[in-house]
Amino acid sequence: MPDLAQFLFLLFSIFTVLCAVGVVVNKNAVNAAFCLLLCLVGVAGLFVQLDAYLLAFILLLVYAGAVVALFLFIIMLLDVQGRQSFGFSGLTTFAGLMSFALLLTGLGTIAVRGHLDAPRLNRLAADGAHMKLYAYHLFTTYLLPVQIIGFLLLIAMLGVIVLSKKHDGLEDLK
Amino acid sequence: MDISVLQTLASRNLWGAITPEIMLGCLALLLLVLELLFPKQQHQAVPAAALVGLLCVLSDVLVNFQSAYLGEETFNGLLRHTPGGQIMRVFFLIAAIMVCLLARVSLAKQRMPRVEFYHIVLVVTAAMMLLAQANHLVMLFVALETVTIGLYILVSYYRTSSLTLEAGFKYLVMGALSSSILLFGIVLLYGVAGNPSLPAHTAQSMHYGQLAAFLAANPHNFLASVGIVFVLAGVAFKIGAFPFQIWVPDVYQGAPTPVTAFLAVSSKAVGFTALLALAGTVFASYAWLIAPVLTFFAATTLLFGNLAALTQHNVKRLIGLSGVSHAGFLILGVAAVSRVPMATGAIYFYLFAYLLASFAVFGVMTHLAGPDDADQELDHYAGLSKDHPFLALVLAIGLGSLAGIPPLVGFMGKLFIFIAAFQAGLYGLLAVAILGVVISIYYYFGWIKAAFFETWANSPDAPARPARTPVDFVTGLALGALALSTVILGFYQGPLGAWLTRR
Repeated sequence: MPDLAQFLFLLFSIFTVLCAVGVVVNKNAVNAAFCLLLCLVGVAGLFVQLDAYLLAFILLLVYAGAVVALFLFIIMLLDVQGRQSFGFSGLTTFAGLMSFALLLTGLGTIAVRGHLDAPRLNRLAADGAHMKLYAYHLFTTYLLPVQIIGFLLLIAMLGVIVLSKKHDGLEDLK
Repeated sequence: MDISVLQTLASRNLWGAITPEIMLGCLALLLLVLELLFPKQQHQAVPAAALVGLLCVLSDVLVNFQSAYLGEETFNGLLRHTPGGQIMRVFFLIAAIMVCLLARVSLAKQRMPRVEFYHIVLVVTAAMMLLAQANHLVMLFVALETVTIGLYILVSYYRTSSLTLEAGFKYLVMGALSSSILLFGIVLLYGVAGNPSLPAHTAQSMHYGQLAAFLAANPHNFLASVGIVFVLAGVAFKIGAFPFQIWVPDVYQGAPTPVTAFLAVSSKAVGFTALLALAGTVFASYAWLIAPVLTFFAATTLLFGNLAALTQHNVKRLIGLSGVSHAGFLILGVAAVSRVPMATGAIYFYLFAYLLASFAVFGVMTHLAGPDDADQELDHYAGLSKDHPFLALVLAIGLGSLAGIPPLVGFMGKLFIFIAAFQAGLYGLLAVAILGVVISIYYYFGWIKAAFFETWANSPDAPARPARTPVDFVTGLALGALALSTVILGFYQGPLGAWLTRR
């Protein structure tokens, strides 16, 4: 008789995997984006089970709330229709099947040989669980990576401007 | 958490240890301010500011080479300052100076905005310098992502060409894939090393030293070995090792030539500093696993790079695929590191030899390229020795050094790697490498032959080649210095070579 935690884990995992498959399989872009949103909700559920409330919250707020909502806006603005499925050549199908077989073998091997006893969660200090602890870490131990990510975001923003803005005398590809 | 603990943690953030990187970051911001302040006609002053700033930072690093922080860990173990890290700092700064010089030539032929290019090059260089000193998987990943995201932008910079956009898109997809593989490997290692049911588990399982101690205590853990293979695969994407080299030719062709040089030299060196730190020290107790993986990488990369380069006519694709084979030589060095300590120095020496020769060749390519940067064929080099004896000479010296012709520095680089591999007993790989050298001479000399012994047949149906313009003083000076140091370092390595190979 599995207990509630195991049942919830299985529920969220299966839900997440099914939604992830839905993102790939769906031909309609809007449906695919919705599947991605549900997939993220499932992952957030898994994080809650690991006592990582902050991560779960950020995932819902930033990814599900903002990023995927933005995707949906763009898809609707561009009015992307479901594409015709393009045919695969024999070689591509063969390579795909081989990769799938390799993936299954790998998963099987990990399932058989990679077993680890699950640690008792309450024995681990969850750094990312609480806002305060998380912030302490960010501003003491990991201050340098935070500063680097500041520069990363700056160059990403500059890059978007350079690659998308109209410049005088520049003939862009149509 | 107690406030005094936090104060101790914060006090270990010794910002003085990364002064050069901070200076680079400030310089990058200064460029943006200068663009705002200066009127549009004087924007050509900005590249000069970038170059002068880079030279200042380089002299700062050289003056403080024996820094007080050497051998210490700072930032709570995120960074570790070693002589190797100092060498790579100098390496990345020299490479950045050369990229800025080439960008001056290349951007003049385009109508793209200038300042952002230099800004991104500076930020990416600072991230590379930090990566060379990383001692923690978080630091490694954050710095590597900064490098990669900067390069996504730089690769697609000349956005009016469809080949450039294709290159940018391919690099984005492959880069994202490789980063996710690397991250998956890191997560597996973090999870395994933090599991309390295993001996020597640690709470700081992303710290190199702690992780190495954990791996030494569990030398045959299955999940850890999966993590190690994933991390090695993620790094192999960055250095373009077979079977992760698939993006190299298209991206190298489509990217602006200075960026191709940046990818070929700096980005590859970044991968090798990470690989040296990981395969050489952290994963050393898993030699049963990484030795066959590295042997496979080295042999297939050497053969693939050289054989694929044989049939290329576009010089950017040719140099890209030859870069793959150079990655093979370097992996041969990495495979020897665990048994022969001198191999580390040999790899640094090879990287410097590659830097000098590559930028000499890329400098000539940048100068000869027309407005369509992706279209640089071998035929365009016909008769170069008559129009531009100086450029032809620089090209010949650069290519000769890449091919490993004595007495140029490329020969010494290969020799040091081969000695290390011989001492490590990697005879099979050594045979493959020598075969690779022989093949590479064929396509490098095909290029030299085009420049020296062929004349440009002006047939009416053939597309015209780009016009040839005189070389300006600064570019000529830089190219001359590169060619001269390639020759001199080949004869006399001096204290530099002794110091590099002594360890």
